[in-house]
This record gives sequence, C-alpha cells and structure tokens, in this order.
Amino acid sequence: MKNPIILFPRLTRSSSHYKKYDIEVPKALHEKTPKKPNLEGFPYPLPQRKSDYTCYCHGEDGVMWFGSNGGVTRYDENADRKDDIIMHFSARRDLLDNNVLALESDGNFGVWALTEKGATHIKMTKMSMEEKAKLLTEETHKYVDRRGMTSQKRLAEPGNVKSAVSYGHSDNDGSFTVGFSIGEIFRYATLKKELGDYAPETLKARESATRACEACLLLMYIAGRGNGFVARSYLTTAEPIPDDGLFYKKNGETAVCVTTTDSQKKKLVGKEIKADAPIPERLKKLYTSEGFSDTDIVYKGDTSSDEITHHYIHLLVAHEFLGREDPELDAIIKEAAVNTMNHIIEGGYAIIEIDGNPTTWAKWNLDYFNSYMGWADACLNAAELLMYFKVTMRVTGEKGKWEEEYNKLLYKDGYKELVTKHFDRFHQVALAGGLDDREEIMYGDHMLAVLSFWGLTTLENDPELKEVYREGFRSWRYSLQPEYNPGYDFLYFLSDPDNAKPDAERIRTWFYRFNTSRIASGVSLTSRIDYPQKLFMGDYKEVSALPPNDEHFIAKYDRDPLEFKNEDSGGAGVVEGCYPYTFAYWIGRYFGFIAEAE
Amino acid sequence: MDKTIRLIGNAHLDPIWLWRWQEGCGEVLQTFRSALDRLNEYNDFVFTCSSAAYYKWVEDIDPKMFEEIKAMVKKGRWVPVNGWWVQPDCNMPSGESFARQALYSQLYYKEKFGKICKTGYNVDSFGHSAFLPQFLVNAGMTGYVMHRPGTHENKEIPENLFWWDSADGSRIMTYRIPEGYGGSGKNALDRKMQDMEERANETGHGMMLFYGVGNHGGGPTKGDIEYLRENLRREGFNDLEFSSPDDFFEELMTQPLDLPSWNDELQHHASGCYSATSLVKELNRKSENLLASAEKWDTISSIVTDSKAETEEFKKAWREVCFNQFHDILCGCSIREAYEDVKMSEGYAQNIASKSYNNAALRIARRIDTWIDGVDKAVLVENTSNQVALGNGFPRPVVVFNPHSYDVEIPVRVHHPSKAVKDSDGKSVLFQNVRASRSNDNHLDTLFMAKIKPLGYATYWLEADCDAKAEKEVTAEQNFFMENEHIMVAFDRETGYIKNLVNKENGVEYASENFVAIPTVISDEETDTWAHNVFKFHNVKGFMELQSIKRIEDGALRSVIRTVHKFNDSYLTQDFILAKGQKTLRVDCKAMWQEKFSLLKMSFAVGGEDEISTYEIPGGFIKRPCNGEEEPALNWADVTATINGKRSGIAIMSDSKYSYDCVGTELRLTALRNVIFADHYSDRPEANFDFTDEGLNRFSYGIYLHSGEAENSDVMKEAHIFNNNIVAVPESYHKGDLDPVDSFMYVDADNVEITALKRCEDGSGDLVIRLYETKGIDCTRVMLMSKLFDNGFWFDIKKHEVKTFRVRRDLTVLETNFLEGIV
Repeated sequence: MKNPIILFPRLTRSSSHYKKYDIEVPKALHEKTPKKPNLEGFPYPLPQRKSDYTCYCHGEDGVMWFGSNGGVTRYDENADRKDDIIMHFSARRDLLDNNVLALESDGNFGVWALTEKGATHIKMTKMSMEEKAKLLTEETHKYVDRRGMTSQKRLAEPGNVKSAVSYGHSDNDGSFTVGFSIGEIFRYATLKKELGDYAPETLKARESATRACEACLLLMYIAGRGNGFVARSYLTTAEPIPDDGLFYKKNGETAVCVTTTDSQKKKLVGKEIKADAPIPERLKKLYTSEGFSDTDIVYKGDTSSDEITHHYIHLLVAHEFLGREDPELDAIIKEAAVNTMNHIIEGGYAIIEIDGNPTTWAKWNLDYFNSYMGWADACLNAAELLMYFKVTMRVTGEKGKWEEEYNKLLYKDGYKELVTKHFDRFHQVALAGGLDDREEIMYGDHMLAVLSFWGLTTLENDPELKEVYREGFRSWRYSLQPEYNPGYDFLYFLSDPDNAKPDAERIRTWFYRFNTSRIASGVSLTSRIDYPQKLFMGDYKEVSALPPNDEHFIAKYDRDPLEFKNEDSGGAGVVEGCYPYTFAYWIGRYFGFIAEAE
Repeated sequence: MDKTIRLIGNAHLDPIWLWRWQEGCGEVLQTFRSALDRLNEYNDFVFTCSSAAYYKWVEDIDPKMFEEIKAMVKKGRWVPVNGWWVQPDCNMPSGESFARQALYSQLYYKEKFGKICKTGYNVDSFGHSAFLPQFLVNAGMTGYVMHRPGTHENKEIPENLFWWDSADGSRIMTYRIPEGYGGSGKNALDRKMQDMEERANETGHGMMLFYGVGNHGGGPTKGDIEYLRENLRREGFNDLEFSSPDDFFEELMTQPLDLPSWNDELQHHASGCYSATSLVKELNRKSENLLASAEKWDTISSIVTDSKAETEEFKKAWREVCFNQFHDILCGCSIREAYEDVKMSEGYAQNIASKSYNNAALRIARRIDTWIDGVDKAVLVENTSNQVALGNGFPRPVVVFNPHSYDVEIPVRVHHPSKAVKDSDGKSVLFQNVRASRSNDNHLDTLFMAKIKPLGYATYWLEADCDAKAEKEVTAEQNFFMENEHIMVAFDRETGYIKNLVNKENGVEYASENFVAIPTVISDEETDTWAHNVFKFHNVKGFMELQSIKRIEDGALRSVIRTVHKFNDSYLTQDFILAKGQKTLRVDCKAMWQEKFSLLKMSFAVGGEDEISTYEIPGGFIKRPCNGEEEPALNWADVTATINGKRSGIAIMSDSKYSYDCVGTELRLTALRNVIFADHYSDRPEANFDFTDEGLNRFSYGIYLHSGEAENSDVMKEAHIFNNNIVAVPESYHKGDLDPVDSFMYVDADNVEITALKRCEDGSGDLVIRLYETKGIDCTRVMLMSKLFDNGFWFDIKKHEVKTFRVRRDLTVLETNFLEGIV
C-alpha cells in the first residue's frame, strides 16, 4: 500500500474486579450518594433506557461516566472518532454484574464502579496497537501455549487466567495454531524488514514464529502412518481424552483407536494403524522436551479440509519467510507438502481414515461435489485443492505431476468453473432450507475461502486464471464484508490491489477497540437498546451494526461478529489464543496496509 | 434432474384497461366462480391467481364464495401469488410504494388465508426496475415470475430460469415466461407443450407452462383442462403436472442447478408508457409524496400531542394508490373514461393525506407558545376583516413543517403580503411579496426563506402589509439574466432558449455548444399508446418558437423570467425561477397542447465527452448508456460528461414526469405525449379520438448542475425537496409547551433518507421507520436519533439497501422487512 492507514496510540480498556470492601477499592466509591444523571436531549444513542441510569461521575477531559442497571456508559463528547464517543462496559467481561450502584473517577482516565457483586476498576490505558499485539502475544505464550499449540486453554476458575489448566484441546488446534503461526511469521518478517535481522525483537519474533511453525508441522507428521495423514490435534497421556471425535493412542509400531462415541459409531474401537513412520526430531522436541515419548501421544483423526487448508497456506508462508533461511525446516516443510499431497491424490482427492473411507469433511472430489451434501461445498473445496497443488509446486520447486493434476482439475474436471459459483450455490441451498444467507453461513468457511483464494491469486501467474480466482474471491465478498475483519480484508485486497478500497475508519476501530486479553467471560450485548436486532427466516439473530470488538463476544475467525449473542466462544471457562488480532495486525504491517504513528 | 413441466392454470385479470373498474370487478367475480367450479370438477387441477385487491373485492361482495376460496387455498388447490395489491407497473412507483404494495397485501393474505405469498408474479408488467429483487425479498417472497420484455425485445436477459440480483446483494430466483402468460385451446396448448418440452430438455430442469384465458379474465376452460389431462404422461416426453409457481420454485430450489445470473434491470417493453397520459403520472407522484409526508407528521403528532394515529385511514389511502399503480393504469394505456375513476380514487387518497397532514400540523402548532402580550387587548381598526385576519398589527405566526429527514432551506408561500418576516429568534428573514394567483385585493402573496430541521418545524413571524400594492411587471430595459450563489443563467432574446448556463461551483458553461432548455416537438404517429416495438423518439417535427419573453420578478428573494413559445396551435408558458441560495433552477410550465401524435421534450445538449446518464429508479439510481432509448425514471435524470476538461453534470427533475432519453450528451425530459387513448396496434379507423395530453397541462421541472458524478451530488435531495412542498400553517396566538423550533428524527449520514415513519400495522403502537441508502455507498455505524422515543440506534447499511426498523414500546429495536415483523 502506498499510503498505510496510520494507527495512533489509544485509550484501551481493561478491567480488574474486586470484592466490595477490598482494600484496593477507594472509599469514596462507597461514600458517594448516587445521583441520577440528567440525560434529557442526550445527542447519541444510549445503550440503556434513560430511566435505567442511576449514577454518574465526571472523568478527565470532559468525559462523563454513567452507571445504569445495564452497565457503565462512557461519554466523550470531544472524542476525535465517532466510534469512541459512546463506549459501553458490561458484565461479565468489564463488570462483575450490570447493576451499577456508584461510580468514581480513578483520576487517570478510568473509573471505579461499584456493583451488586463487588467493585471493578475499569482502566483506560493509552497504548499503541503494537503494544497491544505484544500484550496479547505474551498472554498467549504464558497461558495458552501447549507445546507450541495456541488455540485455547481451559480455566479452572472462570475469568482467572492464572487458573489455566495444562490442557485445552480444540477440534481445530491445527487451524487456530496456523493462524497464530502465520501472524508470528509476519511479525518476524516485518521486524526483520524494519529493525534488521539481528535486532533482539526480530530474533525473539523468529523464535516464537519457529516454535509455532514447528507445532503446526508436527501435526502433519505425528500420526506416523507414513502416508501424509495429518492429525487434527494431539494430547499426551497426561491429559484427559475428550469424547469428541476419533482418537488414536500410539503404542510404538501401531496406534489404536480409543473408545469415544464417534469411534463406537464407526466401529473403530480397538482398530490399529501404523504409527511408526519417522517424525523429524526437531518437531518431536516439542513434546520430548516436556518429558513425553512417542507412546505418550494420543492424536486426533477424522481430519477435515479446514485443517488441511490451514496447513497448506502455512506451508507456503513458512517456506517463504522461515524456510528460505532454515534449510532443515524447509526440508520438513517440503516433505510434509509432498506426503500429504500424495495422500490426497491416492485417496481420490480425499483424506482417508483407517477404515479406508474418506474422513467426514476432507473430500475434494467430483463424487462428493455431485452429492447432495457436497454440491454447495464444491466451490470452496475446489479452490482449496487447487491451492494445495499451487503451494506444493511452490515449496518443492517442482511441477511434474503436481501441475498435471492441477491442470486436470482445472480443465477436465471443471474446477475452473466451480471456483466462481460459490454464492449461486450457497444462496440456493440456504433458500431451499428456508434460511437467509447469513444464517446458513459456516463462518469458519470465511477463513478457508480467504486463505485459498489468497494463495491462488498470489501463486497463479496466468492472467486469465488469476482473474478467475479473483472472481471466485469476489463471490465470497458479500458475506465477508459485513465483518470488516482486516484479517480477511487485507488478504482480499492483496488479491486485487488495483481495486482495493480499505475503509480506514473501520480498520482503525477494529484494532483500536480490540481487547487486551483473550480471557473469555461474555458481554451483555442483547440487553442493549442502541443495537437493533435483526431476525432472519430461521430465527437466527444479528445486530444491525457491527459492534466494536471490545463490546461483543470473543471469538476466533469462526463466528459471525454480528451475532446477537453475549457468550464468548468456549463459554466463560477458557482463555483464547490471540491470533485473531496478531494475524491481522502483522499481515497489515508487513504489507503496508497499516503503520504505527511515529 | 427432474424435468417435469408444471401446468400453471391462471387467469390474467386487468381490472382496468379497455374497460372501467366496475367491469373489471365483475370479471374477477366471474373468473373466480369459474375457477372454483373447475377445481370442484377436476380434483388434480390447481389454480393460480394474483392481486390482493381482487380477493378483497370478492370478500366484500360475495363472502360465501370467498369462504370457498379460503377452503381451496387451505387445500393447496388455489394458490394466491404476488404479495402485492395488484400487478403494478414496475418502473414508476416509488420504492415506498413497493413497500406498501407488499405491506397491505401480505398482511391481508396472512389474515385471510393464514399465509403470505411466496411468489412474486408480474406477468404483464412492462419492464422491471433493477431493485425489484430487494423489494420482493423484503416482502417475504422467494421466487419471481415475469414475462416482459420478451426475447425479441431484449436477448441479453437470460431465458427461462435465472438468478436476478439487486445492487444491495438481494437475489431472487426468476422465471421468464417464454410463451405468454395465457393460452387456451388445442393449438395453443400443443405449441406450448412442444416449446416447454424443448426448453426442459435444453436446460435440464423443469419448466412452467402457463395456460388459461386472460386479460379480461376467464381462466382455464374445461376443454383446456381435459386436453392437458390427456397429455400428462406421454411416452418419450417429460411428465406434465398440474401445479403452481410456489411448488415449481420450491422443487427447483432443491435441485443442483447452476443458473445464470442477471444484475441489471429487465427492460424495455413499452417505452411510450413512461410518458403516456400525464394526468395519471401526476396523480401518482403527488399521492405518493403527500401520503408519505402526511403519515410522517401524523405519526409525530400522535406522539407529541398524544393523539390517535390515522393508520387505518392511511391504509385505505395507500390501497387506492397501489391499485392505480396497476400497469395498464399507471402506464396511461387504458381508456379515457377509466381515468375519471382514477381521479376520484386518487382524490380520495389525497384527501385523506391532506386532512391528516393539516390535523397533525395544527395539533402541534397549537401547542407552540405563540402568545404576545397585549395581543388580546381590544382594538378598533378600519378595513376590519382583512386586518383582523392578518394580526391586528401584531406579527402573525406561521409554522412550517419539513417532511424530509434532512435540513431544508426553501422559499415558502403564504397568501398575504408582508412588510417583514422574522424567525423565532427575532432575526430578519429574506422575503419577497410576489404576485398571487388571485385577482382579489392586492394580488400579493409572501414568499419567505424558511429553514427547517430534519422532520422538524420552525415558527416564523410575518408582519402583514395591508397597504401593499402589486407593482407592474418589470418592463424596463429587459435583462434576461439571473444569478445566485450557485447558478448563472441567461436567455437568448430571439429564441427564448437558455444561452448561458453556468455552474458557479466549477465555472462550467453548459450552453457553450448549444442553447439548452429547448422545447422540442417530436412526431409520434407511427406507434400505438404503448409505443410497441419503438424504443426511441427522435423524429423531430420542430422546435417551439418564441412568442414573448419578459422578466416578471426581480426581488430580494428571487427572480423570474417568463417565456411563451408556440408550435402550430400549441403554447408553452415557462416561468424560470431562481431563488437565493437554491441549487435548482425551477421552471413552472403551463402548456396548452393541441399537437396530435406528438411528444414535447425539453432538450439539454450540454456537450463534452465520456458521458454517462443516471436515472432515479425505485429504491435508488441506475446508470444507463446514452444511446437515445427512452428510459423510465422517477424524479430525476442526469447526464454527466467531461465538459471543458471538468467532470460535470446536469440533472433535470420534475414534479410529475417519468420519461427521458439521452442521446450522447443531450438529455431530454419527455414532458408530454399526446397520442390516442388505449390505441393497441389498431388501424385507427376514422373517429374523433380523444388524446392523452390534449388541453391544459401544468407541470414543473428543475435544472440542477453539479461537479463530479451524479450520485455524489445532492441531486436526490434536491429532487425530493422539489417534489415535496413544505407545508406552512398560518397560526394564531396562544400559550403552549412546545418550542418554536424543533426536530424529531434525523440520521447522521448524508446518503440515508427516511421514507416512512408510521405506526405498526398490528396496533401495538410500535413505531416503524423505513430508510434507504441513496448514493451507492456501503456505510457503517450510521446513527438515527429521535425525540419520538427519546433515544437512537446504530445500523450498518449497504449500497442501495432499504431497511425497516420497528421501535417497540420498551425501546428495543427490531430490524425487520416491509411486513413490519408481523409475519
């Protein structure tokens, strides 16, 4: 980008909760006689009814804080951005509960709020967006990282990050860790460009990126089946096995399918599969360094196309930015790409489970596309598979059979036509189900489409095909755009830079108003009256305007940010990885969409 | 894939065309009786019929038969389609009208039949504007059936079945009827069966075969049904099945189709219909605007003064307007007598609107504190009646109401002269005493510059000038030149045409190559009322010649230059009015038209290159090539070009016209079209025919100049203000609790306009607000604030999107569709 969007340091919220009479809580808060604010003629939408506001206090620089029985509202009539004139703070993320009894300024841009259940100090700290990235990354490293995997961790005590338990399996550990890894790789690439190869920050970034990258690569080897099978996730014997999918306990030469509801349904309990194919020592260190051996490993199968898509784009990014200066890593990357690509080809464009059948969701072949279930998936899956071939060609530097397969898919099997039909098919399927588009969307598909088409438009040099892929990308734009997620939008703009029209204010708001922590606890969006609720045919609900990140639930790149809901993903008992922020931030920085103010 | 051909037994009913509505009503009753009989005789036959207005007729006139229909609907044998009041013209109703077509019809269907219509069905309408998919989806419909234009008129539109997209992203599965919506008898049915068979095999999916006697009703005959029954299963052919459009779409939706898509309007069929019969066009425009404005203020008044909202009355009025939007009515191609009925019907609607508006305005005005100490003291004056009426020497309050959701500053007329006008802060306001339409007393009215906030009112104080005398028209050294802050205009004294027209913002001269505003007479002898198969009107008969030109006003507030032109026995008087601060040059016209088989076009050839024309259409605007084809438009059309190196445009707006063409950089408003009524491919036998626009025609048009592209200018606002006069209510002296100036609702985005503010139809008292995006820009975090519910809310809006919000009594807000969250 010629003119990056400049991001300035901003006041950013964070909350600390206390018992009512904790020594930290200022006495003045208790001594105050609450006085109802006069809100007659208030010029902006208030989140609560005026009659529900019970107290107020003055903050710095003309800021007013209003307390209600629906949370705290901050009013800054002098705010330099429309999005920051009104801010709202609600339970449980910002407050212990919403019934505000008294407010007292902390004298430093923040406020103390006394509520039914205790007291909360809402701090407003001025920080740059890079500082925020750093804070979030530190939290992820400290509390979420599980042998390099960074999707999420459970908390023994909701809201208390220090209570994070040692496990925290996610069905999409691979995908979410790829998100983090790509963010870290771009952090490294950005800092290298800006600070030089050997600056301490650069080296630190490289270390973090390499660890995340290795954790992702490990999933491509850990099953040890020797056929390129990729694990969704893995646990050690020190962790409980959730009853959620197919798990295989490695026992040396073989692994055995353990008892879960799914394995029983599929009659796979006790079935054995080869497990002794070599795993690069460099990757194994992620668990051996913690005292675990191969036989302590329980990996998760039934791998989906979601996982594979994340892995292949990750292979590309890792190859370009880490592999080129780390031949050992690059060799691992190349081998992983080749092994899994061969698996997919030999499986008839599918990932094959131990019963010889394709996994539930990793199917990219015409049989699936022509099935009732696969017809609407075909357009995305076609793009995914084409992207895998392009990535494999790129990281191996070989064309050969990869190109033959690629061309066959494009010109013989009709994938070239398929990649542009997403909206047509998807819309029809939604209607057939009596649903509006937005309630039919699998929001996780957005990331898959973005990664696939970004990969294709980046790697394809044929102008006609490039334009086809751009058209394919555009067929997703209608559902991507309302999210105003720069993590998607930056890659979309990269695919067609001449027509890129970034909305600077939306991008700023997305970064400025991102929380400084990923501890899940939820908000009270549904009790606000300043956001209309939009009801769809199938009873799904959205809000009519995209709330700032710090006023809606915490999620990964797999939920509708407009959803009319309060609960964070995973409920209140988790701390999430930070990739939703760092992926967008470091890609934005690297490609020059955003820059920090001098 | 299933290639079953579904047989759609239907009766196309024109309630007015070559007959008046009374006959149309009878035709509906007969057709519905016949359809019920056929349904009772043949247990597999299915009947499809549109238009809530027809069902309402039957319900009111023959309730017993209505119950029979309800029973058949419940069984799925009778399928109501098109959740609109009639099959309207789909080019000229406003976006708000389409919302009302849906609102009053779908709620009626829901109430009577327990369900709404799923299929939009406009099989005879003469073209379909580009945002219809959005209107249909907003009305709860998921499929659309249309027929015109045919493939001979537009080959680019996909045939058979396709996805039709609006610019906001709305999409509807659309079936383009290939062989006509009717058909009866063996030959017609054989031909249709053959055609549908071929199309099903070619496309790989099922088709719909429409049959039944139509236009004047009738429906499927016994013979038709029996013949089709004989052919349901034919060896070597796809199956036939008695069915409905609802079932067709539902079934095809589940099949793996990769249909073509179309993201443009569906044009053209009958290009003469955009201008035929000026009367009905004028009535439609005025009713739409008056109803929307009146309803907004009725709603505001009901809250501010705690009075009853006239929701039921507005429903009655809107239903009349919706009925008259039927394609053969609004398109001006019915018989002359039918328009006598239309006048009554539209008058009824306008009367409801104007009474409600006045009541609402006065309820509010009478709560404003207008008391002046001493005004109640007895006085004895000469010339009593007039003097007392004008305030007994005290300034008299006038309250001005703005129905728009943005600030308006515009001259307002009061029917007495003044010697001073002040606003509620006591500041002097620009005014001018101008010639009244009356010949009584001093012949003078007051025009003053009113400034009113969005959906607000303002109080002004007028000091009567009882001694004022009308001055003679300016006759001294004539200077045919006018200028304000935005526009400079000069007239050629030989022709009366504009010889200089300058946009003062960028200095662009629009008349450097040609004179503009040339009244041009076009020959229109070769076609019928519809102008079937004719898409351009370029046969110039001549240009109107100047009879006189004079400046008739030159005051502090405005200047007026009057031209009179002649062509054979026809005359055109134009008052060119340029007021201070106004961005639009207004032209009030009076035409005495006698020229048979003619069009009157106002021509603006502005020169330049890289031209593009832009037109307001229902729900927004559309760009079209400057290829000289006659195009439908709502309030305005525009041509923008690079003129002398600067990107500049000229928009022509009007208060009652819907038709334009643009040939290169020459934009022409079609002001009149004088052809024979209901002349349908006829051989025109010798007769004393009536002509559509003969006699006196009054209309106004406006000239608006801008830099850059049309959509980025203020043209939409200017045209809507041009079309919607601000109401000024003369008031009296009283105490009150309301401020002299107030505003009740506004939106903080320049490109979002509120089109409806009403009470919800379910009697809950909830407020319903409808708005739309006007400039083709995606917007986020738009803010709407309102005193009516003492708060506001945020919303995102896509380009060209229309949104409807429902504010509940507990202040929570629902985003809903045209059906207000009731269905």
